[in-house]
Amino acid sequence: MRPQEKTISVGGIDVHAWVGGQGDPLLVLHGAGGNRGWTRWIEQVAERFTVWAPTHPGFGSSGDADWMEGIDDLARFHLWFIDAVGLGRPHVLGHSIGGWTAAEMAAMSPGSIDKLVLVAPVGLKPEAGEILDVFYYPPAQLLPMTVHDPKTIPEWDALFGHPPTPAELEIATRNREMTARLTWKPYMHNLRLARFLPRVTNPALIVWGREDRIVPVVCGEQYRRLLPNATLSVLDRCGHLPPLEQPDAFARLVLDFLAAPPRAAGGSARS
Amino acid sequence: MKLYYFSEMPHHEFPDEEGAKYPSLRLEFPNRFFDAARAHTNYQRYLDEYELADRVGFDGLMINEHHSTPSCVDVGANMTAAVLGRTTKRAKLLILGNILPIEDNPVRMAEQIAMADLISGGRVLSGFVRGVGVETWWSNSNPVHNRERFEECHDLILKCWTEPGPFRWEGRHYHFRHVNPWCLPLQKPHPPIWIPGTASPETAIWAGRRGYTYVPFLVPFDVARELFDYYREGAAEVGRTVTADDLGFLICAVTAETKAKALEAGRHFVWRMGPTLRGPVEFFAPVGMRSRAGSQFALRARPRSLGSMSYDELVDAHFIIAGTPDELIDRFAHVQRELGIGHLLLEAQESRMDHPTTMRSIELMGAKVIPALAAL
Repeated sequence: MRPQEKTISVGGIDVHAWVGGQGDPLLVLHGAGGNRGWTRWIEQVAERFTVWAPTHPGFGSSGDADWMEGIDDLARFHLWFIDAVGLGRPHVLGHSIGGWTAAEMAAMSPGSIDKLVLVAPVGLKPEAGEILDVFYYPPAQLLPMTVHDPKTIPEWDALFGHPPTPAELEIATRNREMTARLTWKPYMHNLRLARFLPRVTNPALIVWGREDRIVPVVCGEQYRRLLPNATLSVLDRCGHLPPLEQPDAFARLVLDFLAAPPRAAGGSARS
Repeated sequence: MKLYYFSEMPHHEFPDEEGAKYPSLRLEFPNRFFDAARAHTNYQRYLDEYELADRVGFDGLMINEHHSTPSCVDVGANMTAAVLGRTTKRAKLLILGNILPIEDNPVRMAEQIAMADLISGGRVLSGFVRGVGVETWWSNSNPVHNRERFEECHDLILKCWTEPGPFRWEGRHYHFRHVNPWCLPLQKPHPPIWIPGTASPETAIWAGRRGYTYVPFLVPFDVARELFDYYREGAAEVGRTVTADDLGFLICAVTAETKAKALEAGRHFVWRMGPTLRGPVEFFAPVGMRSRAGSQFALRARPRSLGSMSYDELVDAHFIIAGTPDELIDRFAHVQRELGIGHLLLEAQESRMDHPTTMRSIELMGAKVIPALAAL
């Protein structure tokens, strides 16, 4: 299926979503920067999976959700989304705050999800170092800090190479406001999440950039230790945006993980 | 027109070149430059100046509050009000104001303002503010909740003052199972409420609707007039007529025997216009703190930042008024004619303006300026 943009009503909110590809469903949850649409890595993954990439409420052109207080609300919402769209038991891949959302969804309802891919997720308090305070910096100063080296990123110019239009600025502001609404305090983490994760037995792949300046890579180790059925893959010369920084290697990692037969002990075989 | 004396109680006892090394004097300038011994003598000095302002006839003493900045080390407006409530006799105590959105316990705030009102014999004018972004960082209060918390905190404080306890409060941001403050204001039904404004049309409309005294701070005359129009719009919604007594304005001012001396002293105000307001926009207006309308208004309202203006430009635009007492009378009357206000708030001490200069300015205002303006 060629990618399409849809508007889907869930819980009284009109949600914008990109949908495309073929095969089993994969729900993709974007990070604080917003839904970047049908980028290169998704194109590759969509050859084997039907990708559903909704825009979180309060972001982009999705409807408002001023009632939300935290990422757990967003996690509940995306569990509704799975039901509303009839995705069955999809794989879930989330990046940054989308990764935190995916982890909370798995903690709330592990049976609603097949495999879990967490890409540089926030959500855990780092054992060492700090999660960068992204609200403290002007967006133009923050952007280069999110990646290791813009020059190596194939889609950099297409995504960020022009001055933002007024409409893009408005959406960027909206995305930042909703991120603040969901993550301000405690900043980008939930102390209880570490208690929840040991009960999440779904096969999980954790991907991190070794040069991540936003979320310390030690958080990847913490996720790996807490999730009973997880592997951690750390990419060299990569910052906080592995799907954009190394789209081909990232897509390969995801495809290999999702296509692998389930392990007998995991208890998460597809029904 | 009534005059109010205001000091930010700054702590400017550090080399300016040290401050310039940091992105902002607020939040980032390390407190190893804070000098406790100097702060002790500063507080004595600043309180002496307030007390003189009371004795010479100022209608009110304005007190404010900021945090994590050398530009204002009055970190507890209600504490200052309580001290001045005891040591002054006559002037109103204009707390402008308590920063509602960052307050986690509105009941305690209601009690503290009530206590200051009781100590002072009912002289408190209770200002409520949304605060600048710096205070949101300082308190780690979510900026997207700023307006909601401002309004809910306000509603709970007023309920504490006007409805008998005990009662329960279950709101969105505040939850109290047992509200029954044993400290209520002397003034009934409660102290008059004042609201400052710099850029938010919503705040002006809200204040107008509720009949609170509204005071723009350091904005050009045309912006103040536009904000007053929003205020009138809110007042009209509830059928209320706006008078001069509903409107105020804040500027910086100093006087001396000669124009040359006054202009020399007034130069100190440039520090508060520039270095103390320097910093990333995120510090002063973190994401979500202002509405879209507020952000757009702020951009229009300040085509040029105060920090980019020279001393002469600040004087020409009436942000700073420095001159002999007669010149002050003339300039203050001009401000009154331009804006139709009943209250003029004077930031009349600044930073390295020394104690004798400040005291002399207060004396001269009391002897000459205040009587001349009382009739306006």
